[in-house]
Amino acid sequence: MRQEAFGLLFYDMRGPRLLFARTGDLLDAGVIARGLPVEQALRARDPASRAAAGGLIRRLVDKGFLREQPVC
Amino acid sequence: MSNRFVEAGLTAPVNVTWEVTLACNLRCRHCLSAAGGPAPRELTTREALGLVDELHRMGVFQVNFGGGEPFLRPDFEEVLAACHGRGIVTCISTNGTLLDPARVDRLARSGMVAVQVSLDGARRETCDAIRGEGTYDRALEALGLLAQSPIPTSINAVLTSANAGEIPELHDLATSLGVSLRVSRFRPAGRGAAAWDELRPHASQLLEFSAWLAARGDVRTGDSFFSLTPQERMGLGLNLCGAAKLTCCIGPEGDVYPCAFLQMPEFRAGSVREEPFAGIWAGSGVFRALRGLRIRSCESCHRFDRCHGGCPAVAYHMGRDLGRGDPECLERCVAAVTGADGALEELGP
Repeated sequence: MRQEAFGLLFYDMRGPRLLFARTGDLLDAGVIARGLPVEQALRARDPASRAAAGGLIRRLVDKGFLREQPVC
Repeated sequence: MSNRFVEAGLTAPVNVTWEVTLACNLRCRHCLSAAGGPAPRELTTREALGLVDELHRMGVFQVNFGGGEPFLRPDFEEVLAACHGRGIVTCISTNGTLLDPARVDRLARSGMVAVQVSLDGARRETCDAIRGEGTYDRALEALGLLAQSPIPTSINAVLTSANAGEIPELHDLATSLGVSLRVSRFRPAGRGAAAWDELRPHASQLLEFSAWLAARGDVRTGDSFFSLTPQERMGLGLNLCGAAKLTCCIGPEGDVYPCAFLQMPEFRAGSVREEPFAGIWAGSGVFRALRGLRIRSCESCHRFDRCHGGCPAVAYHMGRDLGRGDPECLERCVAAVTGADGALEELGP
């Protein structure tokens, strides 16, 4: 996954297939690469953008581009 | 929908075709690289590993290795390991003659490699007539080894007038071996230019293949046939030329080109020996021209939104004009036959 002007570009080696995620500045590649807990990653956001970013993360998980895992 | 993101320009290629050597132990009649002996100044191991580092820093996801025969390069497995160690997925296009159980086992351990073995006919005589005596049997031997491993493996066949009638049979063969089938387009580059008139598929064969493809979602074509792609397959991938937008080609001596079929001096975008690859990708005039290319002669066609003018490389090889439209697009094939001639997704918040 990497940062592009439109947002995030995901590469899924199982296809391979690409996902152009028009995330704008809601999510950045660094946050995802570091694997921060969602709450921590979005802490500084206002409620509206936090909800939008949370929704995006959920959809990326549903599509298999992100994996949810326990932090401890 | 994703086309507009691609056309706006990506920070790096999604994948790179890297022809690591021009050396080949075969002399296939349609070889796009006219491979044979090694190129005079092929990248050293140190240069090759440095390039892997740079591709990694840029965020390139995949490297497609070809040649020549990549396994003839003594350090090839070292270069592969460097890619895998940095999370870069690889695909190797090989003639299969240098694969043995030990090598297949080493490749399988990475879990990040796919292999395409070239086979240009379902019948021995068809394949050997194009690729050389004994190549059919040797390719099948390699495919047998790979099929027993966890490596994603495919037969890669170049569609020609000689094997067009055998593609369904080739699909059956692939299925029986437990591998997939990938069909690539024959383009008049390298030795393929000399064999073009003889091996070029006829319009009727292209149409027949297009119709056959429509019912075969499991057959991969890369972007080779997007100008011929039937409606039923449109959802499987991007429908525009990815050269200089999604991909590019690095030659054995480090020269960078928009694609493997445009490795000519007039399309040399730079050399990784002379400047960083990132600078070539972002700043090359050749790449900027490809990104801005408009195929105006096709814009009024009702299929324009589906193929955007097709493959500029074929147009160039046949008419020395990138912008004249793909001479073998679906519309032109239909016109020729009737005599009237004259996998992506987008996600937002």
